[in-house]
Amino acid sequence: MDQNFAAATAASLANTPRQRLNAALAQVNDVVVGKNLPVRLAFASLLAGGHLLVEDVPGVGKTTLAHALAATLGLSFRRIQFTSDLLPSDIVGVSVFDRDANAFRFQAGPIFAQLLLADEINRATPKTQSALLEAMAENQVTVDGASRALAQPFFVVATQNPLDMAGTYPLPDSQLDRFMLRIALDYPDAEAERRLLTGEDRSTLVGRLQACLSGEDILALRQQARAITASPALLDYVQTLLSASRKHHDIRTGLSPRAGLALLAAARAWALLGDRDYALPEDVQAVFVAVAGHRLIPARNVARDALAQALLESVAVE
Amino acid sequence: MKQRRTRESGAPPVATMDARAFTLLSLTVLCAIVAHAAHLPVWYIAPLAAIIVARWWRRRRRRGRVSGWSRAAMLLATALAVFAKYQTPFGPDPGAAIVCGLLVLKLLESETVRDARMAVGFSCFTLMTVLLFDQALVMTLVVGLMLLPALATLRALEPGLPESGWLAAFRPGSALLLASLPLTLLGFLLIPRLATPLWGSPNQGMARSGISDRMAPGDLHSLLNDNSVAMRVGFDGEPPAADQRYFRGMVLWRFDGREWTPGFAARRPGPDAPLAQRGDLVRYQVTLLPSHQHWLFALDVPIAAPRDAQLGPDRTLLASKPVDQTLRYNVTSAVDYRLHPDRLPPGLRRWALELPAGYDPRARALAKDWRAKAGNDDAAVIRDALTLFHTGGFVYALDVPPLGRNSIDDFLFNTRTGFCEHYASAFTFLMRAAGIPARVVVGYQGGYWNNVAHYLLVRQSNAHAWTEVWLQGRGWVRIDPTAVVSTIEMADAGGDNGAPIGGSIGGWWLPWQNRMDIINRWWSQSIINFDALSQSHLFRPFGVNRTDAQTLGIALAIVMFLGLGIGALLASLKPREKPRDALAAAQLRLQKRLARAGVVRGHAEGPGDYYERSARAMPSAAPMLRALSTEYLLLRYAHSEPPPERVRDFVRQVRRLRPSRVL
Repeated sequence: MDQNFAAATAASLANTPRQRLNAALAQVNDVVVGKNLPVRLAFASLLAGGHLLVEDVPGVGKTTLAHALAATLGLSFRRIQFTSDLLPSDIVGVSVFDRDANAFRFQAGPIFAQLLLADEINRATPKTQSALLEAMAENQVTVDGASRALAQPFFVVATQNPLDMAGTYPLPDSQLDRFMLRIALDYPDAEAERRLLTGEDRSTLVGRLQACLSGEDILALRQQARAITASPALLDYVQTLLSASRKHHDIRTGLSPRAGLALLAAARAWALLGDRDYALPEDVQAVFVAVAGHRLIPARNVARDALAQALLESVAVE
Repeated sequence: MKQRRTRESGAPPVATMDARAFTLLSLTVLCAIVAHAAHLPVWYIAPLAAIIVARWWRRRRRRGRVSGWSRAAMLLATALAVFAKYQTPFGPDPGAAIVCGLLVLKLLESETVRDARMAVGFSCFTLMTVLLFDQALVMTLVVGLMLLPALATLRALEPGLPESGWLAAFRPGSALLLASLPLTLLGFLLIPRLATPLWGSPNQGMARSGISDRMAPGDLHSLLNDNSVAMRVGFDGEPPAADQRYFRGMVLWRFDGREWTPGFAARRPGPDAPLAQRGDLVRYQVTLLPSHQHWLFALDVPIAAPRDAQLGPDRTLLASKPVDQTLRYNVTSAVDYRLHPDRLPPGLRRWALELPAGYDPRARALAKDWRAKAGNDDAAVIRDALTLFHTGGFVYALDVPPLGRNSIDDFLFNTRTGFCEHYASAFTFLMRAAGIPARVVVGYQGGYWNNVAHYLLVRQSNAHAWTEVWLQGRGWVRIDPTAVVSTIEMADAGGDNGAPIGGSIGGWWLPWQNRMDIINRWWSQSIINFDALSQSHLFRPFGVNRTDAQTLGIALAIVMFLGLGIGALLASLKPREKPRDALAAAQLRLQKRLARAGVVRGHAEGPGDYYERSARAMPSAAPMLRALSTEYLLLRYAHSEPPPERVRDFVRQVRRLRPSRVL
């Protein structure tokens, strides 16, 4: 029948988490057409155990991507539309008094989902933003003195519109660092756009998607990703990139060690997506702009992604 | 299912300039055009500049070449304008005009990076042609600075450079210019000189010559307004007193009622006028700027001719060929002298008294009147004449009303306004009419004495005319009738030369210019006139007395080799990166082979990407290359320590690979 069916069939036939991963990738690509690279990066972020920031203008498929991921991954999904009056408790949850039990009962907020879509994150106040970002960093929330662990796997997809800055609170550089990858979707090419225009409604398609992976699969895949070989030569390359970012004359603040860890983890995840047990410099290069783009602080008014690309092109590979 | 960024090995699409590169290119072209503003008409330069700005403005909104019709129209307009102004496409000025027009046309059609590179080259050529017109220090510096936008444009055209600030765009070019200075100096000192400059166009500058050999009322006017340097004079001892700085150019004998010319008397063969010198001689060196005339100037009166010149019968100097390049000569003059003191030959006497018939009856009558009163006393007649100029309501001014047919009468009795040539002309006429032999001398008078560098700066505006009268027992005596005129109407007496005459409307900056002339003098003496002779002096300290092109070439080669050797030595002292192990060495060898075959690895290209690209470029070797690539990636990146036997195997396989050349 249609591609979804084919993908679902492939998923049901697949035996190993890796095979199911490929099926999941194919399924998301069928819904979010013509966005192979961003979709792959989104999966890399998931497998590397990081969170994803999607930055682009409205209407290019940010939310569709998040929905398709949620449906395909078989994770519990919640969406929070960030607004300026959103409070931290709207995310984390509140304790309410239960008269029957004569005690406070915790009403869990949307953050206790496995996949959380934080839509237009820059519209909320910094206080609310930091509630989310702290939870992302610590994988737990503390309400009324009690710490509560978040669901596992926990994957945040946040979106923000970089152009419409009126009434927004742009994420400070230190908070941007919480996101492992930042991607842009960009306009589709002509062929993909034609498929969008002639094909079925995306929400219908998303509604028909079947889960290809389970939470356990994802945890297992994350385990596999961590086991990917990073040879001394590759670590040399990563370190050269890091030190080059700290010496580059157009960069005020280079990449932190945490950025280096993120780069390595993302490169390993990319190698896993490429069905390899070892990471190549090409894996590092593929994820570099998405990892470093939002972490580099330029010395002048230079586009950050272009700076990351220039940095990448300035470092030789063995 | 590998997915990588694909790299195209085919031809890249035609790259167009970005907005920044285009702005820099427009600036480059504008600079080249503006540098020509000094010698091209404003009505030509201004529209060109406007077109550049308009093109720049338009391209900010919409990219694309200007339509072919507009360009054709502009080409036609350029041709018409040049023809209308010069009537010929040949020569420096029309040539410069054409080059400027074509350069702007090039900008109109510049869209791609290739266009831009050509336009930059063309701009540099256009800029260089400015030096055909003006080699002064200021212009040379301006041309050098105007190279900066050109270099910045070239830099901005390079792909893959991060955006930088506007000031930073000029930094690499500035560094490059500075770094090229030593090489420039080397070439300047050692490249063999031609006898004449490469671009020594013979007719250039004809329009702006100095003093001419005839003098009609108003002839000197344009000269007196010209503040360009005529010559510089350095004295061996103290300079002569300010009132003795009369530089003799030529002697005019013949008057036809309107115009003074040398006449036959000045060209007579025959013996030199006898000279009795008294007092000390003045020795000095004159640096005469190109006048395109034959005569040289010397302090009243030279006692011998310098090399390549001869002494005329009236103690004037004549060069054997026109002074088309700056000329330096040494002269000795006697400031205190008696010229022709004893007896004036009858022939000369006749010439010195000759007046055209039927002109200026009132002046003649006045002179007769004086003679009748004075009797035999020539000095009294001279006194009368000078008194007339001093008290007769005469005015020294550069704005002179036109004179009628009887120009002397008109001047003496009606206008009473004039400058040196009017006074010299009228005074000489009066003397002759009164029976005193007299003649006009034209040259320079005064000048600015530079007390720091000890030289006298003489400008064209110091051009002057005076009279010599012959007195029994005294010989030819210089009398400067202009000096006695009491009323001076001038905007500003140029320079502080101590004499109220000869100067011109200089402007407030002239004193400053006079002082700054030291630098110009150094530039023209040491740089512009650095010729084969100066070059040979360079080698004297090294015991080389004869310097020909061959010696210079050898010296140049030695210095270049030394420079290259030192550079190579410094480069070799820097530790070279050694391959970390046998695997890396083998892959370097493989890369070298592939590069020789035509596939060069990009600086930051990943190994897998590179071998895949090579495999696509050389299908015959593709299976082998892909196998090598896989093996290399496994050895290097899947192992923390590659197994030695597999590395040896890889090295062997690399040795066996002989990729054929990619076309």
